[in-house]
Order: sequence, then C-alpha cells, then structure tokens
Amino acid sequence: MLRESAIAFGYHLNLTAIGDPSVAIGVPGGDELLRFVDALVTGCKADREDARTAIMDSLGPDCLVDAASVFGNFEMMNRVAEGTGIPVSPRAVERMKDTVELPDLDRLSTSSESH
Amino acid sequence: MTGEYCGSVFEFNGSAVPVREDLRLAYIDLWSHLGAPGPTLTGSQRVQLGAHARAVREGDTPPWVGLPDSLLKLAATLFRNPAAVDGTMVRGTADEVGDPMTVETIAVVSMLAAVDGAHRGLGAELEPLPEPAAGNPTGEVAEGLKRRRTHTPMPPGAIPVALDLLPAVGKVFRTSYGPQYMTETEMDFANFRRDPGLDRAQIEIVSSRTSFLNECFY
Repeated sequence: MLRESAIAFGYHLNLTAIGDPSVAIGVPGGDELLRFVDALVTGCKADREDARTAIMDSLGPDCLVDAASVFGNFEMMNRVAEGTGIPVSPRAVERMKDTVELPDLDRLSTSSESH
Repeated sequence: MTGEYCGSVFEFNGSAVPVREDLRLAYIDLWSHLGAPGPTLTGSQRVQLGAHARAVREGDTPPWVGLPDSLLKLAATLFRNPAAVDGTMVRGTADEVGDPMTVETIAVVSMLAAVDGAHRGLGAELEPLPEPAAGNPTGEVAEGLKRRRTHTPMPPGAIPVALDLLPAVGKVFRTSYGPQYMTETEMDFANFRRDPGLDRAQIEIVSSRTSFLNECFY
C-alpha cells in the first residue's frame, strides 16, 4: 500500500494529496502523476497532453507507459468492484481514513456495504 | 501471456512513447479473450457489448445489439460512470438474464476499460475492437457459489476472485493485471520498482487517485 511503499523508499508522503492534489504529495513525480490522472478523468485534450509532457520531463518515457497502464488497470478494477459489489474490507476503510474526508468515506463505505 | 494473434496488433498509433512488449502482449491476450465466445455470450455479442459501451460513452448513437436492454444499460453505465452502478441495477439485470451473463458483461466492460484507459493515457488512438471468433458460448460456469453481501455470486476472498463465477474469465482477469500493475508476487514487496519505470509508491499514487475519482476504494 502507498503508506508502506513510501516508507520503503524513504519518501515523506503526505497522503492527503490523494484527496486534494493542491497539496504536495512528497514523492518524486507524484504531483505530476496526480495531475495526469485528473487530466484523464476530467480534463480536456490539452490537459492530457500537458500532463503527459510533465511526466516525461520529470520521470521519463518509461514512467508514462507505467502510469497509463496502471490507470487502465484501475479503470478495470474499479468497474469489477462496483459491478460485483465486492465489500470494502475494514482494513481498506482504515487505510483510507487519512486520504478521504470523513463525509466522503462514510458515503463510500455505506454504499459499498449496503448490498 | 500468449500474445496469440486475434486480428489486432496494438500499434498504439499516436502514443507519445513506445510501449513495452509485455504490456502489448497482455492487451493482445485481453483482445483475444474479448473476441472469443464466453461462458454465456458469443464472440460477436461480446464485441457488440463493447461497441455499445464505447458509443454511449462518446455520446454517439450505439449500434443495434440484440441483447436485453437491462444488460446494455448495465454495460454502458459501468463503462461511463462506474459509481452509478448499484446493487439494484445489477440484481435487476441478473433477474432478467441470470448471474452468469451479468458477470460476463461486467468482465467485458471492465477489461475494455483497462485497454481504452491506457490508450487515453498514452495519447494513442483507441484500438479497433477485435474480430469476433466463431462458436457457441462455452457454458463454463462454477456451481454452488452464492452472494456474499455482494451483487453477484463469488467465492470467499478479495477482488482477484470477484469474477470466478466464470472460472476462465477470472483467470484472464488475474493474469492481466501483472503487466498492467504488479503480479501477485510483486505485490508482496513494498519496495517493488519497475526498472526502468515507476516505483511502487508512484504506482500507488496513480491507483489511489484513479480509485478516488471513480469513487471506489479499489
């Protein structure tokens, strides 16, 4: 998980950036990766091009391939989770508590566990 | 991964960068799977589901598909806005077409989202959908599974087994996320790093923000 892997690499991770990318996340290239995902989900073509360029400049072309494939993988995982309604584990809820505002966490947790 | 030819070669036209070979082969395998007969749907029906989902997402008029409306609605909603899918929608579909066809549709749309998502990330043109293979549905469905506070029947466990009502589909799903993300073995190491490429912390930033924006914990 993100917290453990950041410790493994000696990064000073600020997990709140996952929910609020205006905050610096404290991982090399991490802010560019957050903006990349935002551009893919909500941005326009120019946003996406800028985001790709930022990753290539900060991390290199191989990292852009990885970022795109991880994004695609979680587009898949999220849909499998929502479609099958697999419950959110208590561990996952605990893990997310410092990345998601409490009202959001309660809403997501409730919607996932009510079926 | 076999990278067995399915009529698609995945050239990633327009990509800003070259794509590593293991990822290309993984997508060819996914495409071969999508175009082949599944447990309850023919290859042609599976490809039509994908075309329908893509068209709805783009705001285009979807091509006619001879499948129940509830199944098409589930496919399109899951592809465009997964957070809008709930137990009522999934169970309503399953009541009409059965759990196996519902799970197969979830799998088809989800795997398509993986490939299309990566293409958007790379700035590449979307890969044309695969040519459907001939043949009847396989009928391979696991017996004895039940809902576990879930929308669909599945064995005990976490998300890797979520599609195991359809064993062959579940196997393809699990195989696919190694090249895209990490293998299950690589997930055991907090200090995993693709070389060259992202380290695990950077990978988890992408996965966490994607899930956050999709309003999903995974």
